[in-house]
Amino acid sequence: MTSVEEIVREFQEADRQGMIDLLKDYSEDLPEVPERVLSLMDRDVNRVHECETPVFIWIEREDGAVTIFADVPGPYPTVRGLVSILVNAFSGLSPQEIESAPPDFISRLGLAQLLGTRRMWGISAVYSRIKSEVGKTEEVS
Amino acid sequence: MADYASPDVLVSTDWVEEHIDDPDIVIVESDEDILLYEIGHIRNSVKFDWQTELQDQLIRDYVSRENFEALLSEKGISNDHAVVFYGDRSNWWACYAFWTFKVLGHEKCLIMDGGRQKWVDEGREFVKEVPQRPKTDYKVSVVDESIRAFRDDVVEHINSGRPLVDVRSPKEYSGELLHMEAYPQEGALRGGHIPGAANVPWATAANEDGTFRSADELVEIYEKGQGLSKDQDVIAYCRIGERSSHTWFVLTYLLGFENVKNYDGSWTEWGNLVRAPIEK
Repeated sequence: MTSVEEIVREFQEADRQGMIDLLKDYSEDLPEVPERVLSLMDRDVNRVHECETPVFIWIEREDGAVTIFADVPGPYPTVRGLVSILVNAFSGLSPQEIESAPPDFISRLGLAQLLGTRRMWGISAVYSRIKSEVGKTEEVS
Repeated sequence: MADYASPDVLVSTDWVEEHIDDPDIVIVESDEDILLYEIGHIRNSVKFDWQTELQDQLIRDYVSRENFEALLSEKGISNDHAVVFYGDRSNWWACYAFWTFKVLGHEKCLIMDGGRQKWVDEGREFVKEVPQRPKTDYKVSVVDESIRAFRDDVVEHINSGRPLVDVRSPKEYSGELLHMEAYPQEGALRGGHIPGAANVPWATAANEDGTFRSADELVEIYEKGQGLSKDQDVIAYCRIGERSSHTWFVLTYLLGFENVKNYDGSWTEWGNLVRAPIEK
């Protein structure tokens, strides 16, 4: 797990190719969604419909700590990378910590220049989705 | 079965595999997803980013003549090279790069039918190694804006009753999609389409495997289905001119329409233009 500020810093310090490499690493590091969670996911309810790419999010909480599972198909590595940043930043935090994460987190990564604003809208939607749903998740027993 | 109007402009995945080391060609990958090239590409292919390399970064326009010359020289493409484009999403971005190269006067442009998806599906080789190509001294000889429509051309076009093809999804065409809450920035203050435009979503021209539909099928879709004919002047548009470059390619090279223009201002210009006529 890397903190929001650490992630922002690593992107801000990277040049253009460095950002592409970072995104690629995040994309490759997105954990596979376990079968147990895949079977619970509803392909409609858990889909982030604002994203043109199929992105499915499942949020759990255990002992107060949040785990985020995200399913993004391989042919969309950029979206996988962006979603993986969010999973990395927020898994293990409490719902309150996630809810109070800086609203400009995504824009501060400085990726709009690399990806264009059009590609950033979808990921902002995933960010909003995580923030708005995290308080509603129930403890896993 | 009818053949495409300009079959030579399409090459197969087999052909590309045979020509990977051909010094007369340069393979170019142009994707929507900027990481695809990094996770693996056709050996000896070079990457172009449609957004950061083919567009001007300050003014809403394509890359300038000077910057295009510098870009191609840097990437090791000469005026004599045949450039073979391929990319994700049924070659949508490959067609966009193709169109941009044509505007900037590059002579020999080809498309690998089926694009990246077909190469993947056929289990062909991908590498991560980026080729080191010797620099060239590329010169733009002519900028061909006859394949590009500007808003004044569109006004004239509709006033004289000539056909337009809106290649966006039916919901964008009807104006419904603009009201989606999550896309406040997606471009236009008004929804709908340019008066008289037919709606043929761009992907209608592609098969499931990413290849283009057959000539017969394309005739069925555009000529019989929409009543378009080869001798008519046609303008294609979408939201920013990328999807419509795919349709521009299909009409021009596969069906042999004589005068097709891509309106790259598209809906993000027209839907924001004061007093521009709109139909819903």
